[in-house]
Amino acid sequence: MRDSFDAVIIGAGHNGLTLGAYLARSGLDVVVLERRHEEGGGLCTEEVTRSGFLHNMHANYHTFVDLAPPVRDLDVRGHGIEYIRPEVQMASVFDDGTAITIHTDLEKTKASLARFSEEDAETFGRLHAEAHGFIDLLLGTLMYQPPLSVKELTKALSTFGVQDRSEFLSVKLRTESINQFLDQHFKHPKVKAHLAFHGAVCGYTNDVKGLAIGYPLLVGKIDNWHLCLGGSHRLAHALWRDLAQHGGVMVVDADVTKILVEDGRAVGVRLADGTEIAARKLVASTVSAEQTFLEFLDSSVVGEELSQKVKTKIKHKDWTLFSVHAAMTRLPEYTAAEFDPDVNRAWVVNLGIESLEQLNADWASIRAGKLVDPRPNAAINSLYDPTDAPEGFYTGLLRQFAPFAPEDGGEAAWSEMGRWYGRKCLEAWRRYAPNLDEGAFLDWAVFTPQDIARKLPNMIRGDWMMGEISLDNMLDQRPLPELGQYRTPVERLYMAGSTQHPHGFITFGPGYNALQVIAEDLGIDAWWQNV
Amino acid sequence: MPDIYTSDWYEAVREAINARVGTLKSVPDGAFVVKIEIVGDGASPYVAAGDERHFLINIEQGACAWYREVDGDEEGIRLDYRFRGSATVFDEVAAGLSDPIDAALHGTVKVRGDMRFLMRQAELVKVLLEAYASGVETVWPKGQPPYIAASAINA
Repeated sequence: MRDSFDAVIIGAGHNGLTLGAYLARSGLDVVVLERRHEEGGGLCTEEVTRSGFLHNMHANYHTFVDLAPPVRDLDVRGHGIEYIRPEVQMASVFDDGTAITIHTDLEKTKASLARFSEEDAETFGRLHAEAHGFIDLLLGTLMYQPPLSVKELTKALSTFGVQDRSEFLSVKLRTESINQFLDQHFKHPKVKAHLAFHGAVCGYTNDVKGLAIGYPLLVGKIDNWHLCLGGSHRLAHALWRDLAQHGGVMVVDADVTKILVEDGRAVGVRLADGTEIAARKLVASTVSAEQTFLEFLDSSVVGEELSQKVKTKIKHKDWTLFSVHAAMTRLPEYTAAEFDPDVNRAWVVNLGIESLEQLNADWASIRAGKLVDPRPNAAINSLYDPTDAPEGFYTGLLRQFAPFAPEDGGEAAWSEMGRWYGRKCLEAWRRYAPNLDEGAFLDWAVFTPQDIARKLPNMIRGDWMMGEISLDNMLDQRPLPELGQYRTPVERLYMAGSTQHPHGFITFGPGYNALQVIAEDLGIDAWWQNV
Repeated sequence: MPDIYTSDWYEAVREAINARVGTLKSVPDGAFVVKIEIVGDGASPYVAAGDERHFLINIEQGACAWYREVDGDEEGIRLDYRFRGSATVFDEVAAGLSDPIDAALHGTVKVRGDMRFLMRQAELVKVLLEAYASGVETVWPKGQPPYIAASAINA
């Protein structure tokens, strides 16, 4: 490996690869360094049950396809990516045998909601239409630019008189939870429960004050969920190809242990084997702030004040995900299919979250370290991706909201009880799809919160969003005010991972937004700003 | 009173913009170029169905320095914003029948460009849009919105 590059990027997740590819296309000599044996970070697809069954260990839902500029700019489809947008995107099945289905066809979604509440169906139609109308503005304002402050946003919304022009957008959303938003606009408990569940799967917890501000955007893309044919990891390959085709280099098994600083400026990195790689123009970290400032930088460089803030002020999600990956012999046949046959074609199915109150109670228990009676969500990628399992078989994914450190035994307890809890999740699935008896599963494997943190240490305490999703950890406050614009106190050291605005998920946002700042600092022609 | 989309009309819009910008307490430094793309939709008599009319507007220190009609994206001109919508929507905005912020908010006019700057300069943007929408008395020689739908005429 060469020992000098223009840009050294730490972490080959989708943000690191995205930033690297843009910089390489801009003519910089780029290296992206990855600690693991492969690129991708959360874009991780593995055969954890049986050979031939492709399981997405982390990122499964690609909801920003054709909304995120890098999908176009970096020509990910040209690099072999095929996205599928399932016709029946999501469903909720309930104890009474009823179901809600969300379709790519809005009228079908409204028809499904109307079986519970015609008024809610009409409200959803108006919300969806309004959200679709302003989604470009929202994405451009809230996702794909270095962040404004809440104060700036509020002032602009007031100046434009948005509150008087919109049924659903208003400045008061910043003081409201998604629960409050749903209670104001919707009537039926199951409709509200489904819409809250959708937010939670996107990382937006329904009972957190201020998150209503993000809800219209979530609805704007509620029918834009895509799966990546052949597994999410293929997106990482595509980004790597783009990087490589433009002269960039990606190195795996490259465990960065130190960021080298001279005269207050980042000048390179040192790897665990002692190799030093010089950065002529910049170093960008896409791993956590804790790793970057407490492990990779000398404390004398970081300073006592920032060190303390990184140790004590950075907020992580107070719940995480417990997963069961299954190799299956048959597709689930839901009891609720008698009510709505489309349930059996739904990509993602919420199993039994019936009301906001029930979901709120689960959050309270989970925050207290308790394991709740599972109400997981079940995704069958094979419904739409026949390549992810051998012919005649299917790949399933159950996800359950869970604490990182159970009250009895802490995180280490997951090693002992992961399999037990996994079985309870499967039993919960069977209650709604009775055909899923023991014979339906060739094999299954659990992926616990502890596994998340072990596999991807930047997801501290299993924090798959790499930072709490709350109003005071959003926009320019994320992860700390002094780091909120991708720059750091160390000259030419940038933060470009999901610790930054907007957040985790496959948004491409942190890498893309850091690029804007880097381009400004280095005088790079922003060819990608194709107005 | 000028006919819509003529040089005289744009000159009047420019003057209206500059008169209003002069009332602002502060305006941003620098210049930016806005492109207006008006897409014929079969209802507006000013842009034939399938045709488009494009205008460049250059804003310097908050004021409109120049404007011109162009065929497409001109080489050497770097756009900062692109506003694109149907001729009927733009006609209705110019006639004061539609609110330009509503049009942008509800996506009938698509806005592309640096939204951060646009939000930070909300007062200026609002003034520019208001001047475009209601700053000029316009002559409508081919008829004015709201247009009667062709299907209604045929009926």
